[in-house]
Parts: sequence; C-alpha cells; structure tokens
Amino acid sequence: MDVDLPCRLELISDLPGHDERAWQVAWNPTKPLLASCSADKSVRTYSYRPSDHGSKSLAFSHVGTIPTGHTKTVRSIAWAPSGKTLAAGSFDSNVSVWEREDVSDSEDSGETAGDWECVTLLEGHETECKSVGYSSSGTLLASCSRDKTVWIWEVQPDADFECMGVLMEHSQDVKCVAWHPSEEILASGSYDDTIKLYIDDPSEDWYCFSTLSGHKSTVWSLSWSPQGSYLASSSDDLTIRIWKRVEEHKWKSVLELRGHERSIYSISWGVGKGASENLGWLATTGGDGKINVWEITAHKLFQETQHTKDPLSAKLLARVSGAHNVNDINSVSWCPRLNHSDLLATAGDDGLVKVWRVVPS
Amino acid sequence: MNGEIFNANPTVYASKRSARKSKFEAGQSLWIDEQYQPELSSESEVEPIDEDEIFGGFQAFLTPKLIQITHIVTDLIRFIADPEHPNSLEELRVVSAEQIKIGDNHIMVEFTPTVPHCGMSTLIGLSIRVRLMRSLPQRFKVDIRVKPGSHQSELAVNKQLNDKERVAAALENAALLETLEKCLEPVGGPNSL
Repeated sequence: MDVDLPCRLELISDLPGHDERAWQVAWNPTKPLLASCSADKSVRTYSYRPSDHGSKSLAFSHVGTIPTGHTKTVRSIAWAPSGKTLAAGSFDSNVSVWEREDVSDSEDSGETAGDWECVTLLEGHETECKSVGYSSSGTLLASCSRDKTVWIWEVQPDADFECMGVLMEHSQDVKCVAWHPSEEILASGSYDDTIKLYIDDPSEDWYCFSTLSGHKSTVWSLSWSPQGSYLASSSDDLTIRIWKRVEEHKWKSVLELRGHERSIYSISWGVGKGASENLGWLATTGGDGKINVWEITAHKLFQETQHTKDPLSAKLLARVSGAHNVNDINSVSWCPRLNHSDLLATAGDDGLVKVWRVVPS
Repeated sequence: MNGEIFNANPTVYASKRSARKSKFEAGQSLWIDEQYQPELSSESEVEPIDEDEIFGGFQAFLTPKLIQITHIVTDLIRFIADPEHPNSLEELRVVSAEQIKIGDNHIMVEFTPTVPHCGMSTLIGLSIRVRLMRSLPQRFKVDIRVKPGSHQSELAVNKQLNDKERVAAALENAALLETLEKCLEPVGGPNSL
C-alpha cells in the first residue's frame, strides 16, 4: 500500500467459491447483485446489503451458482441494462443467455427470485468466445472470438436473437468488446494490437468506421468514459491509452499511462466520487497483481497559456500491490449503482472475487 | 501435426549431466518432490519483488537460492520429449541451463528450435510452460521465448506462448492436451532406460 497517495483501497469482501481461475466480475446495474465467471464453467452470484455493524459497510453473501452447462471455461459475462438478463461467453464458442424463472420484480434484494434458466444459446463463433457486452439500450448484444470475428445480435422479444452482422475486421483474435454508454457505437480490441470502432449504417450493415492503432501488443480490455467522450484501452505492451473523441467519428490518442509491470488485463472507468469537474476514476489491473485507481481530469484548453500536448491528466489516487496475493488479476469493475460508485470488484487466478472500497488515506 | 517433419535429422547431443545427482536420476518423482517443496513454497520466504533485479540483469545477483531454483527449473524441463523425435529437449539442445534466467518470483526460459521454420515451436514452448505451471509454486511468473534469431516467426511464437488466454484455451483442447501429455512423459531420463 502506497501511503503517500490520497486514497487507499479497503478490502470489504473476499468471496471464495470458484474451483479454478476466476475470469470476470460483473455488477448488476439495477439490483444489489454481483456475478463472477470462471474456468470451472460456473457463474456465481452474490448479493449485498448494509451490514448490521455500521451504516457504511456492506455485507456480501453468495446466493447462487449457475453450472451453465458450457463444456469449457466461461470467459466473460455481461448484464443487460435492465439487470434481468445475463449473457455468458465460453471457450466452447457459445454464448448463453440467462433469465430468472420467476420474475417477481422484487427490487429489494437479489435473492428472492427463482433459479436462473438458460433462455437462449447463441451459436455462431467457430472458436473460443472471449467477451460479451450489451448496448446501453439493451437491444443489442455483441460477442467476439479467437475466430477473429465480432457478432452483433439484436435482442428480440421472448429471448429471441437475430444476428445483425458478422464483422471480420481484425486479423487476429478479438479479445474484448465494449459498447458506448449512450450511442450505438461498438469498440473491439484485439491480439492484432488494434482497436476497431463500428456503427450501423441504416441502409446497409454494421461496418468499421475507424481503426485505432498505437498499442504495440495485444489490446486486452476497453472501457468508455461514463460520458462517452473518451475510450480507455489496456494492453500487453504495459500501457493504458486514452482516446478522445475529436469529431463525431474520429478518436485520437491523447494520453498514455504506465503503472504495471505485466500485461494489463482489465480496465474499468467509473464516475468516481467527489469533485464533479473530473472525468471519473479509472481502475486498471493485470498480471502483476496490482490494482491502480487513477483520477482523470480534462484540461480546459482555452485556459492553457503554454502549449500543452495532453488535454487530459491522470493522477494516481490509490494502489494495492498483491491484491490477490501472488496471483494475476483478470478483471476489475466499478459498481454502476448510485451511491456505490466507490466500490470495485476484482477476479483473480486464485479463483477469488474481492470487493474493495476507495477510502481516504 | 499433419505428418510433416520439420527437421528430419536433428543433431543429437549427449545429455549434460551435472555433477549434482538430480532427483530424476535418483529415480524419484517427475515433479518436485516433498524435499524440494518447503523451500520453494514457504510463504514466509517470499521476498519482495525487486523490479530492477527482475527486469534488469537477471543473473547479476545470483544467490545460492536462485542458483538452486535454476537447477530445479532445468531438471523440470530437460527431459521433456521433442514432439517429433525420440529425444529429449536437452539432447537436442533445445533447452539448456544457460537459457534459464531467474529473478525473484520471475523465470524466463529461452529455447532454441532445431530449425528456424520449426512448426513445433509453439508446442515445445507450451510443454515447457505447462511443466513449470504444474510444478512450481504460483508465485513464479513465467515468460517463455525462443532464442532471438532462432525462428522465422519469433515474435508470433513468443506472443502466443505468453498469452494466458490462448494457453488456457489450448489446455481445454483434448487433442492438443493428449499430444502435450506425451511430450511431458520423460525421455532420456531414468524411466526410459
């Protein structure tokens, strides 16, 4: 723990249960529910509520395990914006979509409804699916694979899905997909070191309108800024890049951050807490077992008297080393729910899911 | 894999036996045995990672403990079978103690394909990675690469071998795993004599 930083990460829950490496964590956007997926082929869900000991602290508890039925690692999970549907992408190349059998619409807790049921199995990828994600409206689902493709599915009533496009732009494995927080813009990162951006042409199909080059190795993870004007990427080249939207369909690299010694597997951009003039908090993690939290601030360019290269600056807010002991950390994610924007979850090679809170040092 | 032999007549070298009698020669476990384990896995001995030591000159500060780990790593990988020859990686000089670099909690294994177009390089690298992954305590981060200049697709091979997601997926592929297990059966060691 670096004591000279303004904040620290306080461990508030340590959730065991996966028998093998945990690959990803995903917060339900509407309910107090957290999900994780693993090489053990299961998805686990955890609920949280204010603890009896104090108003600020939260108690997490395991509420269910979905065996999924996937024959290989469940690599990625994503909640629909409604919080009622969960998609899971597996190394068996399929994507499964899960809903609760008994949707009683109880908003109080995650543990009152019935069992999770697989409502659809999306088959299409030829090899391992590596990432899945819902668009902000919840009407589109994207998946990507080692087969170099990105698939866009339209979510239709009664758990029906229609493939709207198969994008074959990358020359290697596609590692991650991420939807813009408000517009129908999709980003994908790849083993070919590039990031591609796609939109729907109303008269034609989905197409790639921009390729962001600059990383010198695999792009492992992508996260849009909460307002959508920036895109952050993390890479095996040990850098984090921030790309700024300079025109409607043009993004430009404006900041490069360093702070990890091994591959940076995951990045998450949350709204943060405190000063509203900043652009939120960026959390990064990876093979070095560190979690870094950066505060991102935009400079008002017209106020600059000197020529400034970077319109953005990043200040390291908090850091934990060995956050999962000696193990790699594969995923980091900010809680998207109101009043919980200082909560962070991580998943590691030790099979653990951990929840952290950013607190002043 | 498709029956093509990438190097039909490799040079076979006599296995270099160190004066120290290895656990393999003593006919003991293929894996690190109980006698070795406590020294390697004891949490109390985990030393803070000194970044300069790891990312700078690996061998500049070789303590007796690091030398011992080098020996252990060498013993773990020397008898791995070549995928297309009845020889061990050591006999073909694909691996050698000189190509193993140890830092605190970090191991870099370099290997030399017998021919620059060797299509088996990723399988050899994967077998080295799996052997070390299964045998060493988790705190060791392992990097594997072909010797610079020894392979025409050096960067591609290195990238694949160090991509944990590709490695994880490869190990869920039954056919590949079977081939891999064959490579991990000792060759030229006590069991094949």
